[in-house]
Amino acid sequence: MPIAQLLVEVLALGAAYALVALGFVLILNATGAVNFAQGDLVMAGGFGAVLLADRLHVPGLLLLPALLAGMALLGVIVAFAAYMPLRRRPPEAVFISTIAVGIILQNVANRLFGAEPVATPPLLGAGRVRFAGVDASVQSVAIIGVAALLIAALYTLFTHTQFGRRLRATAQDRDMAMAIGIPVDRMIAGTFAVAAALAGAAGLLLSNTFFVTPTSGADYMIKAYIAVVIGGWGSIRGAVAGALLIASFEVLYPSLPLLIPALLRMPSSDSIFSQTTSTIVLDVAVLLILVARPQGLFGEAARQRP
Amino acid sequence: MNACLAGGSRRRFATAVVALALLGGGLTTQAAEPTPDVPVLVPITGFLAAEGSSQRNGALLALQNPPPGVRPRFAVTDTGTSPEGAVNALERALSDGNVTVVVASMLGTQMLAMLPIALAQKVPLITMSGTADITRKGNPYVFRFFPADSVVKGTQVKYAIEAHHIQKPAVIYQTTAYGQSGHTEILAALAAAGIKPVYEDALDVGVKDMRPVIAKAVAAGADSLLLQLHGGPTALFLKAVAAMDVHLPIVAGSALSQPATVALLEPAEIKGACAETGSSPVSAETPAMKDFLTRYRAAFHTDPDGFALGQYDATMMALEAVAKGAATAQAVTNALATESYKGVAMTYKSDGHGNMAHSAVIVCFDGTSRVPVVARHYDFPTAP
Repeated sequence: MPIAQLLVEVLALGAAYALVALGFVLILNATGAVNFAQGDLVMAGGFGAVLLADRLHVPGLLLLPALLAGMALLGVIVAFAAYMPLRRRPPEAVFISTIAVGIILQNVANRLFGAEPVATPPLLGAGRVRFAGVDASVQSVAIIGVAALLIAALYTLFTHTQFGRRLRATAQDRDMAMAIGIPVDRMIAGTFAVAAALAGAAGLLLSNTFFVTPTSGADYMIKAYIAVVIGGWGSIRGAVAGALLIASFEVLYPSLPLLIPALLRMPSSDSIFSQTTSTIVLDVAVLLILVARPQGLFGEAARQRP
Repeated sequence: MNACLAGGSRRRFATAVVALALLGGGLTTQAAEPTPDVPVLVPITGFLAAEGSSQRNGALLALQNPPPGVRPRFAVTDTGTSPEGAVNALERALSDGNVTVVVASMLGTQMLAMLPIALAQKVPLITMSGTADITRKGNPYVFRFFPADSVVKGTQVKYAIEAHHIQKPAVIYQTTAYGQSGHTEILAALAAAGIKPVYEDALDVGVKDMRPVIAKAVAAGADSLLLQLHGGPTALFLKAVAAMDVHLPIVAGSALSQPATVALLEPAEIKGACAETGSSPVSAETPAMKDFLTRYRAAFHTDPDGFALGQYDATMMALEAVAKGAATAQAVTNALATESYKGVAMTYKSDGHGNMAHSAVIVCFDGTSRVPVVARHYDFPTAP
């Protein structure tokens, strides 16, 4: 397995994880609360794409706009159901309410789609593509492209639009934003909409290769959380970096003996470079980062005023 | 006076005869149409929801089409995946004191929690749980209708040796209890044949990229791949094998025999791959299985797997016992413990520990269809 091919896979997986983590960190910044339903929104996006594909019979890429719109609406509903009524309560109340939203989403998905895994349609089509000596699946390349476009669109939204500037102002200091006339509740609902849309896109991108079940959100939630912890609590750049780091561990660490054949001759090489060990090593790395740099890799995040 | 008394006696006698006749008629009606109470306590949400739904469907098909003269009362309760959920569901079901037999969760940890209650209340549990321990605790009220791991894993290894003459297998398994239990049995079966795996790897259910594992197995010189993975990971693994153009014989666990898993794969991606299972109802080998398949599809608009068929057979065996006169939970327990039952999938008979299924099959895919063909049958007189 050439290293270039592995890097394509790292980028594809990391880019999709980054969308999940970005949505997570946007809500964290805007509300100060952890949205534990973020993983289940990824799951909802996967099933939403399956539903749309069943109706429209078009490639995944063409489903994306409708899916983003539907998920944004779901995000607004989550904001008004799980955040707004509790926004003056301690953050723990929102933790619990988002956990409840996640459980509701799981059970609704189970009721509507059943418990069995299903796959979303490919973004462009099946097959493989060869370029510059790299052999990669069309889906992986398409995931990288779509995720890059979405992240670029998000960047543009935040830096080049009035709506984005208001969102940032709300995230930085809600009270001050309110004082200068920014409709904070609407901005927070908008943040939930953007976050849910990103999660939905990730659901479409990931569920073609890795399938989706009503319970698959928990895994994405944990990855988003770890990515944000590694990258820096509240840091947007950090969330992307953390997501790429997680993908690197998942793909590259177990492949090390293939990249460095001498490692194959090591005693217990199978165990040391197993998938299970890669998870342990990742978690140890997270602990070390937290000890050495508690604020994460990109520590200077936008913070709320105490 | 005597005549009068005689006349009164006759009237009383006639009244008594009418009353007895009515009572007898009532009793006769009750005996002809027993109404056993059969709660269905299975996980239909959570990580085992797909398998639990199959279990539920199999039980419902039997309960909705019982043997003539039996009118079971039943209700489905979702046990989730926690032991407390299962215990609460069982205690609620038992609260009226008239339960005849319980269709019990296939999740081993839930079964282990329910066993003491079943023992205390003397109510039989019929289940599809593969966890070895549930029939090793000396509890006479548990009956397992899916072949134990020792049977199906023995079948998996035996077929790999017979059909592919494997000498250097790679064993890939899940880190869950299901994966580790199967892994232990696979190693035992391989050791019994004097074979040692050249590569082993345990995968968390969240692992997405299977290619490093496959590449390392190939690099280790594996001549075959023996899998003990859940449905989703099995599909991911086979997709990756196909994408990497690896052509090693694959003998997978029962997940690959499940229609839901196969639906995730293209027929070409599973060409030549085989799997062990208790039965393969979609293969419709016999007229009885074909009939079951037709009725199941009509009722649930989906294809059945081995769990659905096993639970159907289990429930029918209990209902047949009721039809033959087993009116109480203890009588049904005795019948399950001692009698033999020819079900749709196989003939069931307890080995004295509650293991009822002693047959397994290997199914294989020809690359043109998602419906496997049964390649080989294996029968074990009792669970090893």
